[in-house]
Amino acid sequence: MDNGTSNSASENETITLKSCDGIEFHIDARIANRYTLLNNWNGGESACIPNVNGKVLEKVLEWCEHHINDPQLNCGDDDSRRRNTIIEEWDENFLSCDQDMLFEIILAANYLEIKPLLDLGCKTVANMMKSKSPEEIRSAFNIDNDYTPEEEEQFRKENEWAEDY
Amino acid sequence: MASKIFMGDMPELMENILNNLNHEFDSLYSCSLVSRHWCKISIPILWRDPFTFNKNSMFISRYFSNFDDDDKFILKECGIDIDFPNTIFSYARFLKVLNLSRLEDCARKWINFHISQQKPIYISKDDLANWLFKSFIESGAILSKLDVYFTEVILKPEIFYSLGKNDHFFSRLHDVSVEVDVVTESYGFGIEVITEPFGIEDTIMLLRILAKNTTKIDTLKLGIFCNIYEPQIYHTLSNIIKSQEQLRRFSLICDEDLELEMHGVISALGSQKNSLQEIELDGCTCSTEFKVLRNCKNLEVLRILYGEEKKLLKVLDSDSDSDLCRISTLEINSYPIDASNLISILKKSGSLLQRLKLDSDDQEICSQSLLQETLMASCPNITFLYISYIRLSTRFLRLIENLRKLQFLTLRCIDDKEEIKSRVKQFAKILPPTLQYLEWVHSHNDILLNHCDAPLKRLVIDFCYDKEKTIKALIKFCTRKETLRYVSLSRYAYISSANDLDNLRKDLDKYVELVPYEDIEF
Repeated sequence: MDNGTSNSASENETITLKSCDGIEFHIDARIANRYTLLNNWNGGESACIPNVNGKVLEKVLEWCEHHINDPQLNCGDDDSRRRNTIIEEWDENFLSCDQDMLFEIILAANYLEIKPLLDLGCKTVANMMKSKSPEEIRSAFNIDNDYTPEEEEQFRKENEWAEDY
Repeated sequence: MASKIFMGDMPELMENILNNLNHEFDSLYSCSLVSRHWCKISIPILWRDPFTFNKNSMFISRYFSNFDDDDKFILKECGIDIDFPNTIFSYARFLKVLNLSRLEDCARKWINFHISQQKPIYISKDDLANWLFKSFIESGAILSKLDVYFTEVILKPEIFYSLGKNDHFFSRLHDVSVEVDVVTESYGFGIEVITEPFGIEDTIMLLRILAKNTTKIDTLKLGIFCNIYEPQIYHTLSNIIKSQEQLRRFSLICDEDLELEMHGVISALGSQKNSLQEIELDGCTCSTEFKVLRNCKNLEVLRILYGEEKKLLKVLDSDSDSDLCRISTLEINSYPIDASNLISILKKSGSLLQRLKLDSDDQEICSQSLLQETLMASCPNITFLYISYIRLSTRFLRLIENLRKLQFLTLRCIDDKEEIKSRVKQFAKILPPTLQYLEWVHSHNDILLNHCDAPLKRLVIDFCYDKEKTIKALIKFCTRKETLRYVSLSRYAYISSANDLDNLRKDLDKYVELVPYEDIEF
């Protein structure tokens, strides 16, 4: 049984991953062992990862490396992790990048099925929306308002119970 | 340009982001007004569990728009003469979480609000709760979580009829809690007699429907159970357990003062022996039925709270053919805990044990030496340790020094007056470099902080012990280590006023963030 802290690959083993723009990364094989999709590529000497460029892959692998010894979650932990709104300092600093990079990391984590990083990225974006008005959210994420004034008014009316007084 | 995540190309990612705002009603409300696409994703989350919204119950009025004409007519007859314009969405359809107790409470608040506005309303909370329940069933909603807690609501026959015709309503339930309160009637002279609770027939009928219509429940919580119920309730609960494809978590809360036979409910868990991963038994009396749990080969989490833990552990773990030996999380709560009862399960769990919580209430744990020796010899991989109450003995210090993967530690110590200062100093020095969370309920906070070298990120401490010295030591620790980010008062700490708390926050403000205990506890 996996006790959550060990991986079958040894510390000295490395594998090579190649980004879609041809940049190679030599990584600890335990990182690949930990995540299903990365592990699927751990077959040849050098595995190419389409859809993720070198700049983003470097960031994703940096995160994986930092969290290599984290215990894996057991069955009851998912809820408590969601409930816990605190983001660790290292992770917060790691994701204090420009917005484009943050979204690229989320997309890459989603594509590579690195769920803890995906959840962390999504939580970070959600925190950026907290207690903001619709106008502030639009401006923060560059979204156009495509409601007609009548539609917007009706939605406002139907859901105003949820507005913070 | 906006990210494609927000433009409709990847709705599942957008949903993942907005799920983090679950129960943040005002933020979800703002999101729903950003654009049409944002509205499409955020409205179902906003309306998933509105009965937890505690500022008002006005959302209930929105459900009326989707009542059929007959029901609208009856509402008007009851004095609810409000406008029923067609809403953009059928909000009832988005309901995922239904707690019958909260439904009742919100119905009562809604009626009281309208009466307070001088509006004559002739409807009981029972009628309103029943109407709403029926509208959810018939709206096409598919629940994921249901809490059945009967207090005073009587479900009407139409509800059961409607459930019979809409079997999808319960078909995706994965989390179910059933609780029927024990009611006592006082006859004076200290005589109290337990009576059958109100609504028990409704409960049985609802449970029968659950047994018939559910297969996906992975979490089942039952409480509080006692002997007075009709045998049908146990039979129906057994059927619910047997109907599930993969029950993973099971929790049972009993009234510990009542000797309780489970009439086959525990035996039914035998049908889930390959899927059960987590069991919590609270206040349970031991019986031979529990033997069936020995065969749960994938059980990882075992919690025995306020029950006959000695007998239960013996039944669960007595034979060599027991599969119950791969526990990664063990929690025992008793008064007091006798650690000699735990030795076998600790040895069998061995290096798999990662989380151990022993809460002996306000009494000292018995057989501490044996416990410490066993943990040192058999359980080196503990990352989470919660012990209350224990002596800060040299053997205990050796144990902490040996737990090289320890990340979270909660400790309540018995004050051993002699040598205590030097023990606290030793304890602070040997804390492992992996430790990031410490909850310390003891005196001599200053000694602890002045000698601690562990890179703590979160600290829970009781400022009542020499407050001034503690604050000074904490500031010094923050400056020296720079890792500490959050600090909280222990849940037992007494702060006389909000003013005191504000002053404390101001004192610490430059160095560390003072946060509520619930935000950082583990």
